[in-house]
Amino acid sequence: MVALAPAVVPRRRRALGGGRLAPYLFVAPFVVVFLLFMVAPIVIAVSNAMYSSRSSGLGFGGAETVFVGLQNYATALRDGDFLFGFARVALYGLVQVPVMMLIAAGLALLFDSALVRARRFFQFAVFLPYAVPGVIAALLWGFFYQPSVSPLVQALQGLGVDADLLAPGTVLWSVANVSVWSNAGINMIILFSALQSLPRDTFEAARLDGAGELRMALSLKLPMIAPAVLLTTLSTVIGTLQLFNEPQVLQSITPHIASDWTPNMAIYAVSTLGGDTRLGSAMAVLLGLVTLVVSLVLVRVTNSSSREGL
Amino acid sequence: MDATQLFSNGRRGRTALVAAGLAASLALVTACSSGSDEAAAGDDAPAGGTTTVDFWGWVPGLEELVAQYNEANPDVEVTFHRMTGDDGQKVEAAVDAGAGPDLVQLSSHDLPDYVIQGRVQPITEFVADDEANYTEASWTSVTFDGEVYGVPQGIGPSGMMYRTDLLEQHGIAVPTTWDEYLEAARALHAADPELYIANLSPGEIGQWVQEVQQAEGSWFGIEGDSWTVGINDEASLRVAERWQTLLDEGLVTTELMWTPEYWSRVNAGDIATISYAAWFPVALMENAADTSGLWRVAPLPTEPGSTNQGDSGGAAVVVLKGADDPGAAAEFASWLNGSDETQDALITEGGLFPSTLNGLASPALLEEQEFFGGQVINEVFIESAENTPATWSEGPNWGTAQTAVLDEFAKVVAGQQTFAQALDNAHDATVADLESRGLSVAE
Repeated sequence: MVALAPAVVPRRRRALGGGRLAPYLFVAPFVVVFLLFMVAPIVIAVSNAMYSSRSSGLGFGGAETVFVGLQNYATALRDGDFLFGFARVALYGLVQVPVMMLIAAGLALLFDSALVRARRFFQFAVFLPYAVPGVIAALLWGFFYQPSVSPLVQALQGLGVDADLLAPGTVLWSVANVSVWSNAGINMIILFSALQSLPRDTFEAARLDGAGELRMALSLKLPMIAPAVLLTTLSTVIGTLQLFNEPQVLQSITPHIASDWTPNMAIYAVSTLGGDTRLGSAMAVLLGLVTLVVSLVLVRVTNSSSREGL
Repeated sequence: MDATQLFSNGRRGRTALVAAGLAASLALVTACSSGSDEAAAGDDAPAGGTTTVDFWGWVPGLEELVAQYNEANPDVEVTFHRMTGDDGQKVEAAVDAGAGPDLVQLSSHDLPDYVIQGRVQPITEFVADDEANYTEASWTSVTFDGEVYGVPQGIGPSGMMYRTDLLEQHGIAVPTTWDEYLEAARALHAADPELYIANLSPGEIGQWVQEVQQAEGSWFGIEGDSWTVGINDEASLRVAERWQTLLDEGLVTTELMWTPEYWSRVNAGDIATISYAAWFPVALMENAADTSGLWRVAPLPTEPGSTNQGDSGGAAVVVLKGADDPGAAAEFASWLNGSDETQDALITEGGLFPSTLNGLASPALLEEQEFFGGQVINEVFIESAENTPATWSEGPNWGTAQTAVLDEFAKVVAGQQTFAQALDNAHDATVADLESRGLSVAE
């Protein structure tokens, strides 16, 4: 892998300000932004979650902020609908992540092989939905899901299929469809560029040994781009846990997406609609912890299995 | 090649959108900061300085009224921001961060929470003289603990808009009681299976509230030093039973209101009646223009032996906590909502149903509506306002209660539970939320 890095011709170092300070100056923009927009909000959320606003009687005497320790977490963990949101996105992820990865990896391998004509055209076509902002994508699909304005549903009805894409049982998959449509393209591009950077001589050798395109794809290319596959899987899983945009938009056209349908929506409902930002902070910290644990487990599992594979 | 073109168009489109958003938020930031700067300057130089009042509202035509006020009052500069999307939710965060506007339009359902959270200022000293020009109910809705927290801006008395052609075609009389309504629903659907008496939107809280109010129920009340919660009170259960029957017999559609699907059904003539507030006809005219002339307005059907009508809720203009010059803000609010100069514009442009006596006396209110076959529809709404019982009171966690009720109603139209169960669940969630805030709740 190291040998693959393009040879960099070292340039003569120029004196910039005060020599030793230069590295710090270079990382400063990142560190400042990181502290300001990543670390500080987390610290504020964690500390916010330990307090609660309390009134008494009718409440017109004003509210005071009291320290409640972990009580907000206890409240969040007793909220059955909030917890069910995790189960819902887990089910969603179990289907959506493999489907997304199969589509992205399949397309990337197809484009990398010599089989596809007009490759650039199809690549753009697949990537195009990613350029549509998520909210707009959900709005567009929203029209496809509403029977009286949807050519899709009307065509299905014409074929005798009574499709209700917004029913309690189907709406989860309608949401998943929007997200796959939007994000398969970017995952495909990441996997495709990983494939493009692989050494071609390995494949020539394999071809000489009689390996077909399919065999090369499955036995050589996929294992060699495992890090990129892990990266895209990880970001898809995190995206699943943080599901918000698509269901929030589709909520306006179907009653079957409740205000606390996903963990992120529950946080929005509690903090913005219900006005309890402190309970919302506790829920956000819980969601962050779950995301962290899931990511770590995923990385650990993939690492150990790839080590076994070797 | 086509794809590349499309692709770059898409990117440009997105950039333009981002740029527009950025420009809008920058404008907001500068508007806010310039507001406080100028006010600060005004404090330093009281004579001849200009006071700035930042005002957020949603009623159509407010821009013109603000301009009119600014012209007549050179010492005050009112800046207006039209509220769209979730701007209503943004107000709370903005006020808490000390960056809110001075003056904002607010649903009267939300006002108690604003008072409890200290997000609004009492303006009694500036507007006490206005009381005589407002209906008693509307003035009560902005008064808490003897202090006035806002100037009322319109109410929402209910009526029943109905398709006169559909009823006539099937020989059905306009229902005047809820029992007749059920009979009409059955007759209509039997005559034409594609025809429904109404759409029961599981997302439209106002339609529910107006009938609960008509039945003399209330979600909230005060008992001594405690709140009472009545989301599943006896009146609400009567309303629940009525709609449960209509739902169970398949006599209503259950589309979410305001969606393309909903308006498509309204335009297609699938829905024979829409019961809603006096501001709804403007929306109907805009979204179902092709059905002009086919609609009329009648009072809401009533319960046996009652002449009660309902109201889905009003609005008020309130002075927020961080306002630099509450006096100037209150004075503008008082002019905007109560002055003789503004009543016609608020009624015709804004589509408001007035809560002011001079507004109720305005000839603009009694104009014939071509869309409704030349009917003076506000005659119905005026009578409705007079017959609305004063039993409804607002409570401290409207947002939570509303979300809970609507989430539960969605399960009702999905056939997973009954309205009565939904109301019980929402009631429990609302009580739990009040108690978690330390408020006292009487059972």
